[in-house]
Amino acid sequence: MRPPAPASASERHHRLLLVFAGMSVFAGMAAIALTRPAGPNVWPGLAIWTACALAGATLLNRYLPARDRLLFPLAIFLSGWGLVAIERLAPPFADRQALWLVISVAAMLFAALFPQLLRWLRVYRYLVLAAALLLLLATIVFGRNPSGFDFAPRLWLNVGAVYFQPSEIMKVILVAFMASYLGEQSAASGANPGDAANRHPYLPRLAGPILSMWLLSLVILIWQRDLGAAMLFFIVFLLLLYLTTCDLRILFGGALLIILAAAVAYHLFDVVKLRVDIWLDPWPEADGRAYQIVQSLMAFSAGGIFGTGAGLGSPFYIPVAHSDFVFAALAEEWGLLGVVGVLSSFAVLAHRGLSIAQRHSGRAFHKLLAAGLTLMLITQALMIMAGVLKLLPLTGVTLPFISYGGSSLLVCFIMIGLLLRLSASAAPRPRSGAR
Amino acid sequence: MSVEVAVFILRLLAGLSLIGFLALLFAIVWRSMRQSERQLAMARAARGYLTRQTRGSSQPDGAGERYPLRAITTLGRSASNTVVVEDDFASGEHAWIVLEDGQWWLEDRRSRNGTRLNDAAIQQRAILADGDVIGIGRFSYRLSLGTEEIP
Repeated sequence: MRPPAPASASERHHRLLLVFAGMSVFAGMAAIALTRPAGPNVWPGLAIWTACALAGATLLNRYLPARDRLLFPLAIFLSGWGLVAIERLAPPFADRQALWLVISVAAMLFAALFPQLLRWLRVYRYLVLAAALLLLLATIVFGRNPSGFDFAPRLWLNVGAVYFQPSEIMKVILVAFMASYLGEQSAASGANPGDAANRHPYLPRLAGPILSMWLLSLVILIWQRDLGAAMLFFIVFLLLLYLTTCDLRILFGGALLIILAAAVAYHLFDVVKLRVDIWLDPWPEADGRAYQIVQSLMAFSAGGIFGTGAGLGSPFYIPVAHSDFVFAALAEEWGLLGVVGVLSSFAVLAHRGLSIAQRHSGRAFHKLLAAGLTLMLITQALMIMAGVLKLLPLTGVTLPFISYGGSSLLVCFIMIGLLLRLSASAAPRPRSGAR
Repeated sequence: MSVEVAVFILRLLAGLSLIGFLALLFAIVWRSMRQSERQLAMARAARGYLTRQTRGSSQPDGAGERYPLRAITTLGRSASNTVVVEDDFASGEHAWIVLEDGQWWLEDRRSRNGTRLNDAAIQQRAILADGDVIGIGRFSYRLSLGTEEIP
């Protein structure tokens, strides 16, 4: 009888992964501290991040050993880089973001370790959805913007000095709602969804109630001018519907609907018109309305392959770089290497999340929930990264884990927590014989 | 001057640890994909059954009977075998079929009259494939491997 050597080897690899993540975050923080001798202290942020990483890894190892072992290192690595970027770009916000990281990791552990949560999300879905919609309605009435400007979108609710964005928590709740609803429908019809004969009676029953739910939330979101979130919700909804029905027409029809909506919105909303115009050709207005996107492209080109080095670039040319444009600032100081790092991390996240969904064959709710959460994170990341690179019109969503924003970070970590929970309850892979 | 050197060293450290992180990440993903590929292949191979063949005029009873394969499937005349071969030419513990490294192996257990694989006596353990016919005494068994369930 050999001791379980392969397990301990992979255990060592995953620990080493965290060590590498910690080293790069430390090096970034230290470089910022050295190049900014008179600036605010960076060490509390680093200490909080390290504590979060260690506590999260230790607790997950102890209470959820059967989980997917890459999800947490990836999330904590990306959020560590986010902290470095915020420390660099907007030092006054860094400590606040570090505190949100503590809350987020705690919430992730709760979502991962609390056994009833998945069942509650399924059983009380209408209640949860109603509560979330109520929060959104409250945002329309009482909404604020932390910056205090009158023209800025009022997407936040506040309790004292703590601001929260209800459309963020809506991401988790809508995915959970759709997963449980679609899962129930496909189970009730009992049909093989890929079967052509079953498509026609099956589709309207699926689409009807959900489309009306969608219209409702979309109206609310467009009302609030939060177009990025509306777009994101609709794309993820389409992808989930496609996963349930295996019907390609959903994707084509959905793309058509998006183009139609974009054409209508182009004429109705000034924001959309602006975004599309500067996407098609930013150069005539490089000093005016397209200033941000042009500076973002400049930052990418300034970064080169290895970047200018943490603390040595000049990312302040990009207005409010710490939220939506954090990817551009990262590209400048860390170069192509950093961009590849972020992209690979998200790619591996997508791969692991979708393979969790794949292992839940036969349990529609779990499968769709895992796929939906992964798609939500990845679609959001792709939308903003492509927007910053001028591959797509800019949609104001945050870059998951990295951008400044407490509610965004919190919700991303809750999603990771749910994915961890789902990975632990997935059907175990067949054991590899005698070895 | 010294600050510049320190910043340069930190840059190097950051870049190297980033490359290390990515390399390790890919190594882990690569390993887990290889592993699941192997397990898939094994799961595919691990389903199989033997079908007793009808043979010429001396047709024994129970032709067409199916025996699902186990990780170790023993064949022989004594009743303790997985597949009991009721034939005077079969030894008590005649042969076995084992699953190793995702392959099914046929091995003769020093039987008196030998074991045939596709009508040729085997000298050493042999890898089995779908459709092979295993002969013991006057009996023969066709091997079916694949993903289909045992009917």
